[in-house]
Amino acid sequence: MRLALPNPKMAWRVWRRDLRVFSYLWKGALLPTFLDPVVYLLAMGFGLGTYLASVNGIPYKDFIASGLVASAAMWATVFETTYNVHFRMTEYRLYDNMLSTPVEVEDLVAGEMAWACTRAVIYGTAFLLVVLIFGLIDSPWAVLTPAFLVLGSACFAAIGLSFTAIVGKVDYFTYYYTLFVTPMFLFSGIFYPLDRLPDWTHVVAWFTPLYHLVRITRGLILGPDALSVIGNSAWLLVVTSALFIVPVIFMRRRLVA
Amino acid sequence: MSAVEGRALYKAYGDLVAVDHIDFDVPERECFGFLGPNGAGKTTTMKMIYGLAHVDGGELRVLGLDARTQRRAVKSRLGVVPQEANLDWDLTVRENLVQQALYHGVNADGRIDELLELAQLSARTQSKPRELSGGMQKRLLIARALINNPDLIVLDEPTTGLDPQARLAVWDLLEGLKGQGVTLILTTHYMEEAERICDRLVIMDHAKIVESGTPGELLERFGQPNLEGVFIEITGRGLRE
Repeated sequence: MRLALPNPKMAWRVWRRDLRVFSYLWKGALLPTFLDPVVYLLAMGFGLGTYLASVNGIPYKDFIASGLVASAAMWATVFETTYNVHFRMTEYRLYDNMLSTPVEVEDLVAGEMAWACTRAVIYGTAFLLVVLIFGLIDSPWAVLTPAFLVLGSACFAAIGLSFTAIVGKVDYFTYYYTLFVTPMFLFSGIFYPLDRLPDWTHVVAWFTPLYHLVRITRGLILGPDALSVIGNSAWLLVVTSALFIVPVIFMRRRLVA
Repeated sequence: MSAVEGRALYKAYGDLVAVDHIDFDVPERECFGFLGPNGAGKTTTMKMIYGLAHVDGGELRVLGLDARTQRRAVKSRLGVVPQEANLDWDLTVRENLVQQALYHGVNADGRIDELLELAQLSARTQSKPRELSGGMQKRLLIARALINNPDLIVLDEPTTGLDPQARLAVWDLLEGLKGQGVTLILTTHYMEEAERICDRLVIMDHAKIVESGTPGELLERFGQPNLEGVFIEITGRGLRE
């Protein structure tokens, strides 16, 4: 099997196609995904926050808001790399056309990952502005958040693309959501710290990308906690680089017979 | 030099042999047809030429390049019209061509209007592909395949599912391209189509090439008045489903 690094120029062409389509659809597509974390913030932060004033000395609203920035980016990536990629790949067969031009599978994967990251940054940053408006940002370092959302969502994108390439059927996407994404969302330390939970939960959480992204956004928005930001970024960087080959292999298996 | 050269070309999906050691030469500037019943291996052969199927055995040279190892180079000089209309449904007719030019990295500003005219779609540039008829979609696919000024165009069943008028329009388009010196490879199971536009053809059955020649040679060899007769003579009358 031929394993090659993506050609950035080719990947950009794939990314550009998604941007072209998004420029039509963004008005309809932006709102629901964007409202999701806002609803969580209101229900949990302002609802539960009435009873639970602070967590480890941090006001509960601030605690949860800084974590939800990470999950806003994650959900954007998850939808993009499952349903949207599935439609492009299987229903519209767009990838067949791309691959009959000089674009190769590794370019396609890199381009789609880049687009998923772009979307994550759009949604994550939109929510970050809401957090800002609610006055829940404590550190000027928060301005760096979008750059780190790219890092986290690249990891989610590699996993999502692999899953979509492997299962190939839209009916099985609920397994991904129910068994992986939702548990990760709930046990990543967004809603409560894992400190007082049994040790094994820390170990499990440590292996999920969202846990690290939450530590980063929290470190930037409530911090600054440079050590945590650097350490967790290193985790994401290493894991994402190692994972990149996985969607390439499975996409090639699905698209090139 | 041949535009495409297959030598003992072989491809299997698991136990199923799709293309079984076939040899063929597609001369430049001709229209070359692959005929055969469904499942004979025509589409797989096309996919190996345009890079959507791995070559499992033998040799395949496309435009003088190795189809296995020089895929990017091969694909940049190729135009592909697939069996199913894999257009970008979210983009307009014009944007489908703009985006295709981008995939190829070619500047096609002046060329896009020309291609839209060639495909008789100048009045529909702002339509979405879903709003087009089957014949228009097929013509858009052909226009899209021409965006990079290809030396070779591969068409997989270019007129399947089209009504007679739409089919004639596609034939006119293809004959025009042939006149411009582009090499065409097409698969079809319409004998009339093969007779009208192919200079040379091979008949595939059960993953092998069973006959080859110009339409005239085949008619003479089998003493038949048309290719339909030749085809039935070679592949038999039994249903293959």
